[in-house]
Amino acid sequence: MSTPAAPTRFLDPELLARVGSLELLARTVVEGFMSGLHRSPFTGFSTEFTEYRQYNPGDDLRYLDWRLLARTDRYFIKKYRADTNTQCHLLIDTSASMNYAHASSVTKLQYAQFLAASLAYLLNRQQDAVGLVAFADKVHTHVPARNRTGHMRTIFGNLSLLQPGGETDLAASLHQLAEILTRRGIVVVISDFYDQPDRLGESFQHLRFKGHDTVAFQVLDQNELDFDFNDAVLLLEDAETQEQMPVLPDVVMDGYRDRMRRHVDDMRTCAAANNVDYELLTTKQPLDFALLSFLSRRAGK
Amino acid sequence: MSFLTPLFFLGVAALAAPILVHLVRRTRARRVQFPALVFVRQVPQRTIRRRTLHNLLLLLLRCLAILLIVIAFTRPFFSGGSAARDNSAAGATVILIDNSLSMRRENLFAEAQRRAEGALDEARNDEQIALMSFDKRYTVINRFLTDKNRVRFGISSLGAGWDATDYEQALRGAESLLSEVQTTGPKRIVMISDFQMPGWSQATATFKLSNNTQLTTFDVGGNNPPPNIAITNVEARGVVFGQKYLDNVVVHVSNFSDTPRDHIQVDFQINDQTVEKRDISLNSRDSRVVEFTGFNLNDGTNRCTINIAAGDFAPDNRFYFTLRRETPAKGLIIENASRGRSDSLHLQSALTTDDDLPFTFALKSAGSVDPASIPDYALVVLNDSGPLSPTLADALVRFVNGGGQMIVSTGPRTSPDSFNTTLQQISPVTLREAVQTKMGESVAITQVKFDHPIFEVFQESGRLASANVIGYFRSEPRQNASVLARFEDGSPALVEATTGKGRVLLFTSSLGPSWNDLPLTPLYLPFIHQMVRYAGTHEENAWYGLGQTFTVNKEKEAGPPAIDTPSGTRLSENRITPDGDLLVTAREPGFYRLRYNAAPGFAAVNSDGAEGDFTKLNFGEFMAGVTGGAGGAEGAEANRNLSGEEIEGRQRVWWALLLVALLLLLAESFLARRTKMVKMIG
Repeated sequence: MSTPAAPTRFLDPELLARVGSLELLARTVVEGFMSGLHRSPFTGFSTEFTEYRQYNPGDDLRYLDWRLLARTDRYFIKKYRADTNTQCHLLIDTSASMNYAHASSVTKLQYAQFLAASLAYLLNRQQDAVGLVAFADKVHTHVPARNRTGHMRTIFGNLSLLQPGGETDLAASLHQLAEILTRRGIVVVISDFYDQPDRLGESFQHLRFKGHDTVAFQVLDQNELDFDFNDAVLLLEDAETQEQMPVLPDVVMDGYRDRMRRHVDDMRTCAAANNVDYELLTTKQPLDFALLSFLSRRAGK
Repeated sequence: MSFLTPLFFLGVAALAAPILVHLVRRTRARRVQFPALVFVRQVPQRTIRRRTLHNLLLLLLRCLAILLIVIAFTRPFFSGGSAARDNSAAGATVILIDNSLSMRRENLFAEAQRRAEGALDEARNDEQIALMSFDKRYTVINRFLTDKNRVRFGISSLGAGWDATDYEQALRGAESLLSEVQTTGPKRIVMISDFQMPGWSQATATFKLSNNTQLTTFDVGGNNPPPNIAITNVEARGVVFGQKYLDNVVVHVSNFSDTPRDHIQVDFQINDQTVEKRDISLNSRDSRVVEFTGFNLNDGTNRCTINIAAGDFAPDNRFYFTLRRETPAKGLIIENASRGRSDSLHLQSALTTDDDLPFTFALKSAGSVDPASIPDYALVVLNDSGPLSPTLADALVRFVNGGGQMIVSTGPRTSPDSFNTTLQQISPVTLREAVQTKMGESVAITQVKFDHPIFEVFQESGRLASANVIGYFRSEPRQNASVLARFEDGSPALVEATTGKGRVLLFTSSLGPSWNDLPLTPLYLPFIHQMVRYAGTHEENAWYGLGQTFTVNKEKEAGPPAIDTPSGTRLSENRITPDGDLLVTAREPGFYRLRYNAAPGFAAVNSDGAEGDFTKLNFGEFMAGVTGGAGGAEGAEANRNLSGEEIEGRQRVWWALLLVALLLLLAESFLARRTKMVKMIG
């Protein structure tokens, strides 16, 4: 007799891809993510009281209203609402290289869209103003950060319309955005970061100079890390430049992996040097990891 | 390069198989979009090229293996004579052209000249080339030259000769010539011949080429030598004294082919007139002897020929020889007839029974001989003549010193003291005491030199010891005397010595029945005849071999005669002996005409009969012999004009090709497996 598989706590990105609405997707991800946290240290970033809630076993006793207990002999938990002072811009790379998916049905761009939607929902839930910027060789979509009712619909609407194409000039785009985003806030960059780490470091420095708190999510397909092809020979074509190149995967594999690992290491070093929160994500990873990483790093600030 | 079975080249079509497999099974590249191409590009691309090369190499190996297998089946062989040449320095080459008699058949010599010119053309322009011809001897035509035209002229001026072949002498000459040249390049001998078996004998060959000398051979003789019947020898006595030739003229005829021949007519002619014809049959590789005797001869020199009508190689179907009939000289028998009874009855009878003796004898007693008449005789026989008068003894001494021949026999009337005193100057021995055996006892003649002309006729029978000798003189041979036979006790029986220009034979027993029973035995007649012939006959060959030097006697009170060669040209030899005779070296077969004033003479010359044997020599043994086997064979190359099959059989190139093909297939298998494993591991 076979044992039924235990239900996973995290949702597979491929499963999320079947969800048609980004809003629903984001809610599913975030609510699921939030409910899974037994002891949420992320109740809110501000101290503005919102409501009481009856105490349930397991709630943090720090938020128990002792005065009310003394008066009424009943247990209530105080709940707070975060401040809305912070604005966050989600920067999404839509270059042609983001349209890559090897074994999964989720492209890097789709993953970036899911991640951006989830982050937007999460931030909106925390009453932060959320903005959206999409770029390839230059910025082609810019939704300024707002915290109004219905803004999320704009965000999700623009997110769903993003199409891959064009060449990347990530560093230039970030420099451009550093000039555009005048108000200090959080900048979340979602890209495959196929650019020279030195140039990226300069753009990160530019954003930091403008007072932005930068978070970098490098989204890659797992095969971009592994270079795992069964073919004896391949004709690889650059998605952006259409340059073609015959390759023997079994011969090139080791060298490629080495160079990719070096690039990721360089990216990590570059991010750390510029006080950028860096996280490498593959399109196989559930979005929860990204959210957890994001919130963990934000909690440490 | 030639091919024994070129039809197998159709198998080249099999090359399409690996090419098709290569094309069909070639991995087709799938086009895949990949964003991180920038990192792929950083990987050294030579590995990809190497893989491509691997595939091409595999294809190449497969194609090459198939091609080699196909070529192996065509059974290739190298027929060219050009050896691998050292390009670093110009070498030296000796071109040896066989111009022996056998090269006269068909157009062999023209072919040899063509091959020589071919070798000349192949030589580098700065190569030093010498030209030699050879038969039994070698002749240097051109010493080392770089002027090819002069060598070419030398080749064209050559012609086939008449003599036999000796490859060893030729190679010795060529090696000797090569030792003269200073070069750091290769030294090469190009030998062009029909390579017949009689020209080289492994048993007697002692010469080996040095290791740094290459030998290239061209066989122009063809693979199937024509059948040939030849007269290989004629045995005859060159001089006779009677009208009728009583000895045998022995003719040797040989069949050098594997085909039996019947009804070969042997025609014996004297002075162009047929004397007798014989019809013989010869089995394969057979020799027959035909004898002619009892024919009459004219006075003087008779030109004799033996012809066979074999219809093959003509030069060895005729044999030349001469038989000269001379008038017998005068001989004198001196005996002691003091008691009025001749003791020379048996001797006289023996010397008059044969009209083919070189002497006609007169019998006189010692007292009746006029010493002044002694010079009229050519031979004097002292038959137990007893004491001689001093005048007669002096005359005899002068006779011998002047070139006269003398036979002396002792006996009961011989006084040792008187003999030793009067004939001391010319006697081969000093007589000691007379020995008389006891009654009923005798001694035999032993220790006979059977190789001496006198005794050679007794060699087969060995019956000379059957004579019983009861009396003889012990004697002491003088210096330079030769003891031809001894008695049982070791005392000399027959002694020979030359004195002045003459010669004396001395028998220490009697030639009559006084001291032995020799006259009563069948040995007596041949013994006496042999002694007389030996004393009276000067050596004269019935024929001479090519290259042999013979003496042409001068004419009395004149110089040597003019001589015409067999081809009719006047000979210009001028080698004169101190006696005024002429030495002539035989250069061509036939009759040399000696133009004496009195009557013409002739000298017959013949080629070596063995030269008619065109059988191929064992080429493997020859090359191993002259190059010193495996060690000395380095660099030596033998390219005979063999059949393609024979050359291919010797070279067996197809073995090497199949071996290389097998190695290629193994390499292909290893490479393919390695490529596959790399792919699996990757």
